[in-house]
Amino acid sequence: MLAEKYPLETQNILAKYPPDQKRSAVMPLLYLAQRESGYVTKAAMQDIAALCEMSVTEVASIVGFYSLYYDKPAGKYRVQVCTDLPCALRGADEFLSKLCENLGIKVGETTPDGLVTVEAVMCLAGCDKAPMFQTQSSEGITYHENQTIESALEVIDAWRQQEKQA
Amino acid sequence: MLKELGRGMWTTLRSMFEKPVTIEYPEVKRPVRARFKGRHELKRYDNGLEKCIGCSLCAAACPADAIFVEAAENTDEVRFSPGERYASTYEINMLRCIFCGYCEDACPTEAIVLGDNYELSFTDRRQAIYPKEMLLEPVRGEGKTTPQKTEPGEFIRSIPLMENPKD
Amino acid sequence: MTKLVSLTIDGKQVTVPEGTLFVDAAKRVGIDIPVFCYHPKMEPVGMCRMCLVDVGRPMIDRATGQPVMDENGAPKIQFGAKLDTACTTPVSEGMVVIGASDKVKAARKDIVEFILTSHPLDCPVCDKGGECPLQNLTMAYGPGETRFLYDDKLHLAKQVPLGELIYLDRERCIQCGRCVRFQDEIVDDPVIGFFNRGRSLEIVTHSDPGFDSVFSGNTTDICPVGALTTADFRFGARPWELKSTSSICSQCPVGCNITFNVRREAASGGKTVIKRVMPRQNETVNEIWICDKGRFGYHYTESDDRLTTPLIRKNGELTPASWDEALGLVASRFSAAGEGLLTLGSGRLSNEDLFNLRQLTEGVKGKAALYTHMAGGDLTAQVGVAPGTDFGEMGKGTAILVAASDLYEEAPIWFLRIKQAAERGATLIVANARPTKLEAYASHVIRYRYGAEAETIAAMTVDRGPTTVAGHPSSVADASKAFAEAENAVILFGSDGLGLEGSQALSAACANLLVATRHVGRANNGLVGVWSRANDQGAWDMGLRPLTVDRRPELQSAKAIYVVAADPFGDDPGLLATFNLQPATFLVVQDLFLTETARRADVVLPAQAFTEREGAYTSGERRVQRFYPAAPARPDTWPDFAITAQIAQKMGSILEGRVPAAVFTQIAATVAAYAGLSYRKLAETNDQWPSVGSGVRRKGLYFSGTAYENKQGVGIHLPLSPTPLPPVNMQSFHLQGEGLLAVPVTCLYDRGQTVYPSALLHQRIGEVWVALHPADAERLGVVANSRVSLTLGGAEFDATARLDESVPQGVALIPRSMGIPINGPEAVEIRAGERVVL
Repeated sequence: MLAEKYPLETQNILAKYPPDQKRSAVMPLLYLAQRESGYVTKAAMQDIAALCEMSVTEVASIVGFYSLYYDKPAGKYRVQVCTDLPCALRGADEFLSKLCENLGIKVGETTPDGLVTVEAVMCLAGCDKAPMFQTQSSEGITYHENQTIESALEVIDAWRQQEKQA
Repeated sequence: MLKELGRGMWTTLRSMFEKPVTIEYPEVKRPVRARFKGRHELKRYDNGLEKCIGCSLCAAACPADAIFVEAAENTDEVRFSPGERYASTYEINMLRCIFCGYCEDACPTEAIVLGDNYELSFTDRRQAIYPKEMLLEPVRGEGKTTPQKTEPGEFIRSIPLMENPKD
Repeated sequence: MTKLVSLTIDGKQVTVPEGTLFVDAAKRVGIDIPVFCYHPKMEPVGMCRMCLVDVGRPMIDRATGQPVMDENGAPKIQFGAKLDTACTTPVSEGMVVIGASDKVKAARKDIVEFILTSHPLDCPVCDKGGECPLQNLTMAYGPGETRFLYDDKLHLAKQVPLGELIYLDRERCIQCGRCVRFQDEIVDDPVIGFFNRGRSLEIVTHSDPGFDSVFSGNTTDICPVGALTTADFRFGARPWELKSTSSICSQCPVGCNITFNVRREAASGGKTVIKRVMPRQNETVNEIWICDKGRFGYHYTESDDRLTTPLIRKNGELTPASWDEALGLVASRFSAAGEGLLTLGSGRLSNEDLFNLRQLTEGVKGKAALYTHMAGGDLTAQVGVAPGTDFGEMGKGTAILVAASDLYEEAPIWFLRIKQAAERGATLIVANARPTKLEAYASHVIRYRYGAEAETIAAMTVDRGPTTVAGHPSSVADASKAFAEAENAVILFGSDGLGLEGSQALSAACANLLVATRHVGRANNGLVGVWSRANDQGAWDMGLRPLTVDRRPELQSAKAIYVVAADPFGDDPGLLATFNLQPATFLVVQDLFLTETARRADVVLPAQAFTEREGAYTSGERRVQRFYPAAPARPDTWPDFAITAQIAQKMGSILEGRVPAAVFTQIAATVAAYAGLSYRKLAETNDQWPSVGSGVRRKGLYFSGTAYENKQGVGIHLPLSPTPLPPVNMQSFHLQGEGLLAVPVTCLYDRGQTVYPSALLHQRIGEVWVALHPADAERLGVVANSRVSLTLGGAEFDATARLDESVPQGVALIPRSMGIPINGPEAVEIRAGERVVL
């Protein structure tokens, strides 16, 4: 149960909204739930629905609508490469395919060690610094701009090192 | 007068040596034309699955109201045709049918085809109603008879996928 | 009074209230603007873009603020650079709307092309094919061919069950959101929703069971494509092959207008069978909706367990007999019984049946009684809602009191209409011993303890001041003030936790409250009974009265009992003792099934289901409505009124037994409230908005869905009884007993004979249950979802325990018609069982 696991955070989030507008708290609560396991589990959706006095289906709809919420497990780090037009003009497609090639996976897949999931996403507002990607993990969201395939692999290697040490 | 009689006799005499226009039916059968519209057949795909998906459009198109179709749902365990729907009952009343071929035109899967057979006879009105078993063509070649057990996800579509123009 | 504005649509001058949307304004003058996502019963969203029109507004001179005139002196019209959606743009004065220009046509063509990019075009196998707005609008406005690549079509799952009642075909969905909006806006059961975005958008449900709403079937009617279909009609037939017959739903007292679609079928051995039930438009009763019980619960009429021949007890066994023999025997025994004849009829019968029953019984001076657990039908005839009443009109200024009824379970369409009235501003007061779903929309909630129903309502008659009356929560005072001050007020009373005595007291209290606050004799004012059967009100009107305690002694002497469409022994085995039934008592049962009562009968007579015959029901609002024969009758069965008439004939009196219309004429001549009515009058219709899809004109298929047009009668609201209201003596009623009290509640899906034969509903019906407060459960050592055994009325039963904090402490809720016979509140003993059901 979310409220039992993170009583303080849940209370703080709920306190921000008027008691008759509890459903407003759904977004931060979903973030909280996602931090836990990298995606929003069905059980978490049920918890949040109960906390916000909404139906589970409504909570799931929100998870589905926003591209930063996930309802399926993936790697520890999500590498999200923008492939919209301005990025594509600066070689984002090639960057993405090379990255996948180097990691030995296809777009949307996770590396066998469960560390990295590569995804193609829509505009991340980094058009002038393309090719670029953002990473999403329990540490939050980080932008990596003006990337080459080498620099991207360096970033991923750094994660691998970090993982080994841990 | 004699002249007329002679001409008549001549005509008779001449026709005695001509090839007869009649044929010895049923021992001899005259071949039908390419677009002849005879008794209906329900076709199968090469794998034996029925082309008919029980959509009832033939029945809707039929001006004589001779066709009766009832549909049911396919499963992968018991599959008659590709997709979700098949004809659980398919009957044509041959007494009502006027062999116009509208059913052929209406069929989205080219399942019903008016064949070459014109030898329809019955001694009873009930016999004139041809059920699905009579109308379905026999399984050819490698095909299996229906119902078949199929792999899940193999035959999900009733109607073949549309393809882009090739030119 | 709303301001009217004039505008021109496609050259036609239209005057409509300000704020009307273009689509509606155009539809009202017969101009069709194609729509997919817009629905006249819901808020517009402008998602599909199909309704694009060219909108011109009068040009205004900025300097003077006056309209600019052209050389002819007409106001100059300025058209926008782009097209507007007709479904989201309200009208304004002097507007010019063009829905047929080349620009508009080109735009619509493109929209259809877009919508079809990933549509599978599998119309031949689609259940909607033939009554599909997408098909029709594509034919009318579509391009004929697409410029998109077929390879880019999305291929999605074609068979996604959203629960066991509704199937989703993801490919066919055009993302109009009508279903999601219906569940959210109209029903407020948001159990289906959108998931993902753009082309990947899909409809999902996360409720348990899937699509957990009793209105789910309506989404298949308003779906503009074949994305949502019912499990019941899946591949059942093509819509054009179906014949339609108007009828009235017989599942609850709302009296929803329905249409039966029938077809002759080889799968049923060449019989003509009902293929589906569709709503039939009646804006004052059910609008264009019906609940799932009405839609899927009709299968009992086709059950193989139906009685097909008369049975006579010979040597202790019920053996088939001829009608002549059976009727002769019944007639001779009834004649012999004379005053000792007791007739028990139920609200499942039509007015004609009940009328004949009473005539037959009174012909020999016997006693006719209504089989019910709920009283008050005499009061609803006096202080009921007057003609002209329409829940759809109620809003600000109206108070609605719902007492002892869980409308969502008992009469879902009333729930819907009252919820909507509350949202329009009506003051909703919900009084119940436990929380119900309707409370979410209530302005006042009154919580009493079981047994204090009448007392609480009586307190409302007194409590007008702001002060609290001892023993009652302050909410009573507030609510009674709001109720008394409302311009119009309606009370719906039910039998949640009540038996005959309790509901009698409650109805009297409600009637007194209405009289005291002068909310009687006018439209949108009065008392409505939430009966358990479709025609309970009709039975009261026909003069049948329930077997109250004070009537029982005179009935114990019954020499012959004639039970029609009721199962008293199945519902209450204890009745045997109450009746003091002698072995010599001659018991005749006339029913569809071999019920518990029928098993004990001396003669069993097979009747016809309401789908096989004609008749008229009187709804809870006292609207008399006709139903027509839909399916051919089972051979060798008769309608109830005809059987009764034939018995009467053999007894030497003449009753009309051939034509139900003639029986109804007799009713009109005998029963004051029905004076002047005839079958012809009941078949009158009126113009209704919005136009709907199926039926004769099919003008509204794309507009409001596949509900049927009402062509066979909207029914007639009965006038109130002219007899002056006698002062009602409210007999006080108190529950006795200590320990756990069992109270009966009604749930929508039960194991009754008119529901259970629908196998499709079994999952929703579930096991026999009893609901307890967790504290009581703990005290008794009962775990959630475990089997318990209970002793009720001297008999033992098994049930699954449901623990629910909303159940008042000291009370066990027992659903009616679920296998545990319970007629009213009584003491119960519950023991924990051993087996745990997961």
